Amino acid sequence: MTGVPAIRVRHLWHRYAAMDVLRDVDFEVGSGEIFGFIGPNGAGKTTTIRIIATLIEPMAGRVEVDGVDVALEPERVRRLIGYMPDHAGVYERITIREYLEFFADAFRVTEPTVVDAVLELTELRNLQDRLVAALSKGMRQRLQLARILLHDPKVLVLDEPASDLDPRARIEMRDLLLELRELGKTVLLSSHILTELSDVCTSIGILEKGRLVIAGPIGEISQRLESRRMAEAIGAPAPPPLVGVSAQLATGAASEASLPHLAPPAATPEPTLPTTTAGGAPLPGATRKRLRLRVLGDAHPVVPLIAGGGGVHSVEAGSAGQLTIYYTGDDRFVAEVVRHLVSQGVGIVAVEPERNELERIFLEVTRGDLQ
Amino acid sequence: MSLQTGRSSLPPPSSRRIDLARTRLRGLRDDPNPVWMRELRQAARLQRTPIILAVVTGMMTLLMASVGGVASTSTEPAKVGIALYHTFFSIAFFVVTWIGPTVAASTIASERSGRTWEALLLTGIGAPAIARGKLLASLTYVGLYIVMLAPVGALPFLFGGVAATEVLAAFALLGLFAVLSVAFGLSMSSKFTSNAAAVGVTLLIAVPLSIVAYLLLGVALSFGAHELWPGVPGGPPVWLPTAYARADFGAEYLVFLVAVPVVLVLLPAWFLYEVTIANMAGVSDDRSSGLRRWFLVCLPLLSLAGLAPAAALPGNSAPYTVVGLGLVSLMCGFAVFVFVGEPLGPSRRVEVHWERERASRLRRFLGPGLIRAMSLLLLLGLAGLALESAVGVALAFFGGRSAGAPDDALRIASFAGYAMCFTVFLAGLGAWLRARSLSASSPRVVLAGALFLSMAGPWILTAIFGLFASHGKDALLVAAPSPTFVFVMMKAIGDPSLDATFTLIAGGACAAGWALIGVALFAAAARRARRTVRAHEDAMSRLENALREEDEARDAPAAEPTTAAAAPGEP
Repeated sequence: MTGVPAIRVRHLWHRYAAMDVLRDVDFEVGSGEIFGFIGPNGAGKTTTIRIIATLIEPMAGRVEVDGVDVALEPERVRRLIGYMPDHAGVYERITIREYLEFFADAFRVTEPTVVDAVLELTELRNLQDRLVAALSKGMRQRLQLARILLHDPKVLVLDEPASDLDPRARIEMRDLLLELRELGKTVLLSSHILTELSDVCTSIGILEKGRLVIAGPIGEISQRLESRRMAEAIGAPAPPPLVGVSAQLATGAASEASLPHLAPPAATPEPTLPTTTAGGAPLPGATRKRLRLRVLGDAHPVVPLIAGGGGVHSVEAGSAGQLTIYYTGDDRFVAEVVRHLVSQGVGIVAVEPERNELERIFLEVTRGDLQ
Repeated sequence: MSLQTGRSSLPPPSSRRIDLARTRLRGLRDDPNPVWMRELRQAARLQRTPIILAVVTGMMTLLMASVGGVASTSTEPAKVGIALYHTFFSIAFFVVTWIGPTVAASTIASERSGRTWEALLLTGIGAPAIARGKLLASLTYVGLYIVMLAPVGALPFLFGGVAATEVLAAFALLGLFAVLSVAFGLSMSSKFTSNAAAVGVTLLIAVPLSIVAYLLLGVALSFGAHELWPGVPGGPPVWLPTAYARADFGAEYLVFLVAVPVVLVLLPAWFLYEVTIANMAGVSDDRSSGLRRWFLVCLPLLSLAGLAPAAALPGNSAPYTVVGLGLVSLMCGFAVFVFVGEPLGPSRRVEVHWERERASRLRRFLGPGLIRAMSLLLLLGLAGLALESAVGVALAFFGGRSAGAPDDALRIASFAGYAMCFTVFLAGLGAWLRARSLSASSPRVVLAGALFLSMAGPWILTAIFGLFASHGKDALLVAAPSPTFVFVMMKAIGDPSLDATFTLIAGGACAAGWALIGVALFAAAARRARRTVRAHEDAMSRLENALREEDEARDAPAAEPTTAAAAPGEP
């Protein structure tokens, strides 16, 4: 990775009483990325985030924000980050504008128009004279986001920003995050709602039982897992860890060892893996995907148009134009099916991939263990 | 620039001191503490505040009217005025010392329990600015009470007997008590995460403390003031403002009415402020320097204050010297409990800051570190005790009272000697306990237990085994290990019924024993602290090396092609 990463977490360990809540967590977030931090409750997400936000000091390892060590120079890091905690409190007996003016003063922001700019960005201008106590949960989250933008931080750290929000507020929050990315902010956010993360995140990190099981761009991870599944299916050795991202696949070999044993991921090229077994049979169910389509009218006449095509395992027609295709392949296969059906005069109403990619990754790399 | 006030602070026109000072003053007006401003805005919207203020003022007016009405039926008007004056300021004292801590106790704790604390902390505004903002906000609130009550306080003027300066001085003192009360509440608030717990514990301490202060510093001390200045009445509690108006101006006035009250208010307020900031800071921050600077100023001042009565008051100076020595000893004991909270050494963060700012040796000595803290305590404590005893002995010999001077000098030396030895023991024990513990709370508890046992244990043993009944006064020697035995030593000097030599030898031997144990514990603590700090430094350097090696290995593949490309061009 060229340049200084926006966030660099290196061999981070943390312990509460006798329990290790973080074990050798190691990942990087590049500048301008939206990094989704995923994991079950108690996995250590909030602890990691609070360490990045300088609220907890790491027991071992190092965390840097824009190259600045959070343990050594927390004041500098605080100028670089905007941290929005899960369920943050607010001062209730002041108006939205007063709230933001206070934080602007506390941040020592000298630009007098900053509050107006932030109100505009977060679409709170019309509510600026309303008491904070009278705001809904969604509006309060929006206000929190406005607060952390006042000092124009490079990095935004958001802990469960969409929790307890209604669907509209979630959509608005997602749009706001994308807008912030457009403004060049790096965003690290944790969430349980994987579909939402997949809409906004460029890369992810999955934490389980205090250990980072995987981290990197979603596409690369997905590809990597696909390769691994195939390798396992044909009995080939598992491919090495991802190149260029600090990823550790949860193979049970993740480092329990102390720091001197650490080694960077090897720069081995990605092996080309077959799509069929040595006998020419298609790969087993592990690699089989499902695509759901809804077509105009009856779906049964459509089945012969697809069945027997390359990569297609089987096709099922249901009621109300529902069509389910089991296949092996990637997004290009989906595009090809749609193009083919349209060219045959079939009206396609909806295309729904089997499952959100992020959900698939999450279920595959985690074991559902709680600590 | 303050967005809350909408005023802009202009940059200083030049670097001249006068211009800088002017800009700073203008900054106070145009760029006030943001926390204070926000608290005021919130308080302005709290509807119950004016109701509470009105109720308190109404009740106070009714009470004063009742007292005045009852007293005026049988007493002359001037005395009624004085009675009203004492009644009003006594009640005002309790209003300030109860409401001040209560209001302040809910400030920082409510930020924590309301989950707004982290947002505030992450603004980078800093603990001192937050503490000042909260202090100002609480003082403003308490100030409102004083202002609302002020017209009621003018009622004594209707009857006479009280001068305007006395009333003004009383209000000024009320303000000082308010500062002290609010500082106490704030320090308590900084320790708690629950608002209710902070307020509850603060009130539990503040209420009895204010009653004791009222009785001791008010009622009891008024008799001493009357002795010194007959114009000041003995008995009525609000004597200090009267003393300002009626005492003769001179050295005693300056010492007892100016220097001592200022020291008694400022030093605790400073301490509480430093404790508040230390409680708000992170574990790796420098939480020690402020408290250490306070101790550096406090102990010499206290030693001088302890000498003041012996030097200024007529008659035998030895009892005053012993009281002064006792105060310094108590201060040293208190400081041991404070410094037990020290980390074993400075954190990496602090060391990096020191390196960057090229901190002097003195600054580093006053920074975090258990052994440094205890060394400073021993240095200043022993020097203070030695100085005070030396001056006390000199005053005993040259203070114009030749008879009994050698006995007085011996008493002072005995007290100072035992106090010095026991201070060494306490400091050593405190350091040793802290060096073996991960936190500060358990060493404090063990230290308190050890202190109690050493003080009372020998006496309890003497009583349990009935040694008094069987051995008479000789049984007192069993209590020699207790520091309170020093009073037996002092009594034995010049008392024919006690064997002074044997008593002094027993007491001296035990004191020396305490000192030796203290030195041994201190040395062990220093060794352990050094070892722990070194182990930590080794771990940190191992981490640094591992990370560096990892970086090098990571950069190596990128560097190789460059090297390979450069190779053919090389000669």
